[in-house]
Amino acid sequence: MDEAEQETLVEKALHFPDGLPGLPDQEHFVIVELREDGAFQQLQSLDNIDVSMIVCVPWMFFPDYAPVLSDIEQAELGLESADDAILFVPVSFDSESRQVFLNLLGPFVVNAKTKVGRQLVLTGTDYSTRTPIELPVS
Amino acid sequence: MLVLTRRPGESIVVGSNIVVTVIEIKGGQVRIGIDAPREVDVYREEIYEQVRQENLRAVANADEIRKRVQNQAQQEPDD
Repeated sequence: MDEAEQETLVEKALHFPDGLPGLPDQEHFVIVELREDGAFQQLQSLDNIDVSMIVCVPWMFFPDYAPVLSDIEQAELGLESADDAILFVPVSFDSESRQVFLNLLGPFVVNAKTKVGRQLVLTGTDYSTRTPIELPVS
Repeated sequence: MLVLTRRPGESIVVGSNIVVTVIEIKGGQVRIGIDAPREVDVYREEIYEQVRQENLRAVANADEIRKRVQNQAQQEPDD
């Protein structure tokens, strides 16, 4: 990787100052598109090349999904309006049932301007960490 | 683990600025009040644990999920 490429990577990197639940040491990530239709991305850690998870924008599957950020969370991320926020959720998989899930209880929210983000743990909702989906044909 | 006995109305202080108060005990449930600085996240343990476990599962299965989302058309053709 040459210097210019490294600079591009750093510019695009997302910073999660608190790490993630279960992955407290993973603070820096890049988003890699996985499909031409933009339906799924890979959230790749820059702190450990072996750590990545697949994520997606949930509204394609759940148009009514409406996670609520607390005032504190909004302030922490420096979010002034919803337009500044990038939101995506983890994709998970059960190897026995072959079922793919979205984790709607733990969405990622990133400030598009500052690239600072965190994974929320929503409270007071019925959203599940294991909401089944059918994969759309690419 | 530190174990303390408290009655309703009594509190426990954690560090310099977190106070946990037993509000009420009724029917096998305990109502707890927590005073903490705004920047301290407070979660029901099982909810946080669900997200933590699901993250580890998502990382462990990332390769498999990536294959599925990238090759969906080939893997599961419409029949």
